[in-house]
Amino acid sequence: MPIVAAGPGHASSSAAGRASAAAKVLDVERLRIGFGAGPAVVDGIDLVLREGRLLCLVGESGSGKSLTALSLMRLLPTGARLEADRLRFGETDLRALDDDAMNAIRGDRIAMVFQEPMTALNPVMTVGAQIEETFRLHKRLDRKEARRQALEMFRRVQIPAPELRLDAYPHQLSGGMRQRVVIAMALVCRPALLIADEPTTALDVTIQSQILTLIGQLRDEFGSAVLFITHNLAVVAEIADEVAVMYAGRIVETGSRDALFGDPMHPYTLALFAAMPREEDRGRRLAAIDGQVPSIAAMPAGCRFAPRCSFSVARCHETYPPLREIAPGHAVACWRAPLEEHVR
Amino acid sequence: MTALLTVEHLTKTYTTKGGLFGRGATARVVSDVSFSLARGDTFAIVGESGSGKSTIGRMLMRLIEPDAGVIRFDGIDITTLAAAQMRRLRRRIQIIFQDPFGSLDPRVRIGEAIAEPIRLHRLRPPDAIRERVSELLALVGLDAGHAGRYPHEFSGGQRQRVAIARALAVEPELIVCDEPVSALDLSVQAQVVNLLADLRDRLGVSYVFISHDMAVVRHLASHVGVLYAGRLVETGPAETVFADPRHPYTRMLLAATPSPAPHAARARAAIVGEPPSPFATADQCRFASRCGHSIDLCLTAQPPLVEIAPPPRKTACLLSAELQPFLALSDGEAMMSDAYRRRLGLLRQARAAEGRP
Repeated sequence: MPIVAAGPGHASSSAAGRASAAAKVLDVERLRIGFGAGPAVVDGIDLVLREGRLLCLVGESGSGKSLTALSLMRLLPTGARLEADRLRFGETDLRALDDDAMNAIRGDRIAMVFQEPMTALNPVMTVGAQIEETFRLHKRLDRKEARRQALEMFRRVQIPAPELRLDAYPHQLSGGMRQRVVIAMALVCRPALLIADEPTTALDVTIQSQILTLIGQLRDEFGSAVLFITHNLAVVAEIADEVAVMYAGRIVETGSRDALFGDPMHPYTLALFAAMPREEDRGRRLAAIDGQVPSIAAMPAGCRFAPRCSFSVARCHETYPPLREIAPGHAVACWRAPLEEHVR
Repeated sequence: MTALLTVEHLTKTYTTKGGLFGRGATARVVSDVSFSLARGDTFAIVGESGSGKSTIGRMLMRLIEPDAGVIRFDGIDITTLAAAQMRRLRRRIQIIFQDPFGSLDPRVRIGEAIAEPIRLHRLRPPDAIRERVSELLALVGLDAGHAGRYPHEFSGGQRQRVAIARALAVEPELIVCDEPVSALDLSVQAQVVNLLADLRDRLGVSYVFISHDMAVVRHLASHVGVLYAGRLVETGPAETVFADPRHPYTRMLLAATPSPAPHAARARAAIVGEPPSPFATADQCRFASRCGHSIDLCLTAQPPLVEIAPPPRKTACLLSAELQPFLALSDGEAMMSDAYRRRLGLLRQARAAEGRP
């Protein structure tokens, strides 16, 4: 095992320069998701994903991050209500597509990888047959060529003994191997957009490290835009170009990875950082965030984080702070940011 | 000080049924595992899925019977205890799991679930049980009013608190924690980690802490054992093992762990290969096929876990003395920016003013 000392992970340092230049793959404005007549669970979020860039959507259970991902694939559960001022994938308005047109895009131009790969695999088909099917369906290849390409794809995602693994059923593979199969299937069509919802959360760190490398390669080689959903800030540090932090259905802070880690503005972002066990925290209490994410039925009128925030003042409880740009490309939704100017 | 728990040469194998002609294959799930735990300490077992760490945890409770080896709890060899004696001893050893939902009956109110073991072991007179349940709920940070609720009414973090309260009901000396925070969100994980640390400090409980999360293990454990393919490959005080890992597998695990400090210089690893099949029979270092340092000698016999300096460190690597210094997982605040430290300082100040950590 070669171990070398190295600096930052996959994200390049010229990230900021590339950020604004690359073409928009996904452009979402004021996305709202709700159920029945109830209040919005995802409440007016903006997202821009660019070619060859990876955006990490960070949040905890109940933040609405997975619903956001599903809505982009138009896979929301029945009864869900989706509204947006803009929902463009390249030149296409996703809201205007009928189901057939959406099906053609899904799996071809937009691919998705979930936390539990078993949900994306057919248990009664060999994994080889499943990936070959993708080639035949979307690429119109014949059987033999599809097999050859499937094998090539298995090699790319570093599945050991790929010839043997093609004939395996999903249950015969380990969790990490299954996730690689799903990624191989996602790669088949060189998707313009990959949505990865907690793809490494259930995996061991060694496997996680391999999967992160793979997704980074997909972004760099194919120029895919990646929406990577996670609650693990260390993973974000490793792989993100840009970051958006979600809390209770809203984006509270967004910016480049270096802006978020080097200049964190929102008290929720800070609280997340503070809750991580770092090396000097041994023998110390961790700074847990007291309380819980508010329920949909009882959303605070003002800032949704205010009831748990150590810096909140009357204004925070009354009026929701809009997301405002505090430095180029770095926006925060907090009346009290930057803290050192407001906190004595 | 005498150890609360001593494990010697613990071994578990499974044999598949033989086919028409075969005699069946033997899977070595846990091989020759030895460690000890002093009262009030936390021994963490780290390793990947399939390494055998949960099997060890269950053997400590004799929920799985070991094939060989001795488990001594407070001087008593529990591997030879009769069922009735073992039941009595289970009051002193408890286990909590990753998925607390799986260990709570969905139709039983949690107050009743916590009261049941108290009644079973006759730890309180019947009229004092209610009060004890309230006390336990308070101890884990829940309200007495929660006693009337059903498990589904709780969030993941709260359910883990309920499971901990239930384990504490019998006033155990040892709690085996099998991935107790792995399924929890970061902020809730911090709450449960704090709770476990508090209970250790206040009640003197000891833990065998099974986890694959290196940052959490570094935070909680006093001692750590790194398990690979059923064998301990490195053991020692947590601080020194994390700062100066002496087995290539420990190094691989640490190098694969992402750091929340984006620009920290640290060891990185190209992860190659995968753990050997438990059915593999070759007598060799089980990590050799993935190791960048292996020599011929590694392939001739499984290196034993031997003491290295400074004691009580041990490693099962022939080359441990020759390994280059390791640039360990470094995520200290010093790695972060001035703005980060300044604002975190403000957060701590504000919390201190509110009387919180």
